[in-house]
Amino acid sequence: MSLVSVVVVALLVLLALRRFGDSGQLDFAKWRPFLTWPVWRFLLTGAWATVLAAFATGVIAAVFGLLLAVSKGFLARWYVEIMRTVPVLLIIYVMLFVLPSYGLDLPLFWKLVVPLALSHAALFAGIFRAGVASVDPGQREAGLSLGLTERGTLRFVVLPQAIRNMLPSLVSQTVGLLKDTALGFVVSYTELLYTGRVLANYNHLLIQTYLVIALVYLVVNLALSSFSRHLEASLARTAR
Amino acid sequence: MSLLVEGLLTTLALTGLSFVSACLLGIVVVVLRISTVPVLRGIGTAYVETFQNVPLLVWLVLFVFGLPEIGISFPLFWTAAVVISLYEAAYVAEALRSGVNAVAHGQGEAARALGLTFAQSLRHVVVPQAARKVVQPLGNIFIALTMATSLAGAVGVVELTRAANRINLAEAQPLLIFTGAGLCYLVLAAGIGAVVFRLERRFA
Amino acid sequence: MGKLLTSLSLALLLTGCAGGESAVPGSTTTADQLMAKAPVAGELPAGSTMDKIRKRGELLVGGSLDAPLLSQQNPATGEVTGFDAELSRLLAKYIIGEPRTKLVTATSETREPLLANGTVDVIFQTYTITPKRAERVAFAGPYYESGQSIAVRKGTSGVTKPADLDGKTVIAGANTPAVTAIQQVAPKAKILELGSDPECLTALKQGRADAYVQDQSILIADASLDRDIQLVGDPFTTDPYGIGLKHGDAEFKTFVNDWLREIQRSGLWHEVWRGSIGTVVKGEAPVPPAIGSAQGS
Repeated sequence: MSLVSVVVVALLVLLALRRFGDSGQLDFAKWRPFLTWPVWRFLLTGAWATVLAAFATGVIAAVFGLLLAVSKGFLARWYVEIMRTVPVLLIIYVMLFVLPSYGLDLPLFWKLVVPLALSHAALFAGIFRAGVASVDPGQREAGLSLGLTERGTLRFVVLPQAIRNMLPSLVSQTVGLLKDTALGFVVSYTELLYTGRVLANYNHLLIQTYLVIALVYLVVNLALSSFSRHLEASLARTAR
Repeated sequence: MSLLVEGLLTTLALTGLSFVSACLLGIVVVVLRISTVPVLRGIGTAYVETFQNVPLLVWLVLFVFGLPEIGISFPLFWTAAVVISLYEAAYVAEALRSGVNAVAHGQGEAARALGLTFAQSLRHVVVPQAARKVVQPLGNIFIALTMATSLAGAVGVVELTRAANRINLAEAQPLLIFTGAGLCYLVLAAGIGAVVFRLERRFA
Repeated sequence: MGKLLTSLSLALLLTGCAGGESAVPGSTTTADQLMAKAPVAGELPAGSTMDKIRKRGELLVGGSLDAPLLSQQNPATGEVTGFDAELSRLLAKYIIGEPRTKLVTATSETREPLLANGTVDVIFQTYTITPKRAERVAFAGPYYESGQSIAVRKGTSGVTKPADLDGKTVIAGANTPAVTAIQQVAPKAKILELGSDPECLTALKQGRADAYVQDQSILIADASLDRDIQLVGDPFTTDPYGIGLKHGDAEFKTFVNDWLREIQRSGLWHEVWRGSIGTVVKGEAPVPPAIGSAQGS
């Protein structure tokens, strides 16, 4: 059963590669530019811009999300519910078309980061809430009965456990956020995907360029996930 | 106006179609991922990691322009539906897997001790319990998928967001048009949310 | 195609060896010579827009990074070249004395606000002058006149004139002048909008549409690299491109128009054309359009 499926998958991949090669897409000339440093320097600049945008988005969204999570008002609740159900692209369009005519025209970087942060804050809020809820209420009571203050209990008992429980979701959220920066494509912020477009425009190697771009995303995000696994493991060790 | 309706219908079709096929494919992937055969497990994991770590927009561009180069060419709408299904299937698989994991290990072992095969224990013991846990996450994926269909506009599918953009270019009424489009998504998501709420109550 | 690739990768290798700072020999030397000849304005009225730019020491330009022949970034050097890019550097030299520009990527939706709130001083971005746009921005020029053309796969029959596009699927760059141009000549055409020229071209070759409408010079460049593509007829629109300036700044507009007249008279304009669009469009440089000739300029 497993052997058969492996053979089938391998055959399919080979067939696809064969057709791909037949249409000339595997010609060495079409890949050679990607073996040169200037092209990579250009792509890495784009990757760096992606990381920067993701970082800025992540910080703002996390802080805002935390505020949303701790606030009890129903305004925060509504915000989370509504933001979860409106495409980021649409918020970006509002940023792009609507706000400038009301005098608010942010630099390109923020035109991407602000809508992403507004949207991801709602998702972060959900994670924070679930994280705190995941800690057994008995833990808090135990902390209080040991003579810790309310704040101390939160700081030393509840939060460490909550963070450990949240970590996997936080990381997948960050990966999602990093992927969403690809919407810079729309506002022509020169992140990785837009860099790819400029490159493809220059070298006329559309498919090769986007394949390389996909690979860069894959490597960056896998690195992020594996870092978090290490972090998780070391947190689990210190907890014992 | 008719363009907006057309866009909304395209979004609906794209969402419905992609969700159903993402669920079906997600089941296949999760069976691979929790399989006891290492090679199959490897394929399942590779699938999930590959699709989850590359932006949907990149997949869309790659498939729309890459597939014809290997001799597979179908209309843009269908290409977009396939890509969104493949992409979201990875998320469906992960949601299902955590549902299965949430069912205590002892349960599966108990089932096997009773002489049930892997398939039987899945079917009669694990799945019914897991189903309860996955309704909410699947609902979230459904909503996220609805939002994700807006990206199909970037590769030429005239769905709701693209339609709104095009109307805005002609009418220059951005506030009205984008708020309208936003409300459409909101209503869609609210509908999905209501269904999920019902299902959750039924299973609980 | 092969030749371009070899020269591209050669260029990449060369710049790679040179540490990336110096550009490809040949192409930029002439650009440098051109720049050396370029005029510089004399005394500037204190407090004027150009005076502020000269004091700042940098011209802020709204434009593209991905418009071949007009304003395209070379990934290897980071340099932006093309007709628009070269002209913007000439203008910078005219104002500041040095060709120092800073490019801010603009899109067709963000151009007006970018000018209105002073993020950029000028827009060089195939900005077609229309009376409607002129209500919100000032246009110097027109500095170039172009038109939308039709490209098809070689051997396509049934598309010989713009009206033939009616009822067919036609590719256009998203939010480009082509979209409205198609709607005017063929109201029943189904328009497929894609993000960039290579995407449009690939989609046309893969048979996703019957035709591709784009600025003629870009299509000529595409057809010169790709034997599967051919142009149909002459451009069916006349698009006068203007330099976008802040609305109401009459002094700056007159200043930029004077500069345009000067580089047209001295033949600098023609040299820039030959070094960019002229590398694919055969024949002599065209006669530049008369300043102020377009409605809205």
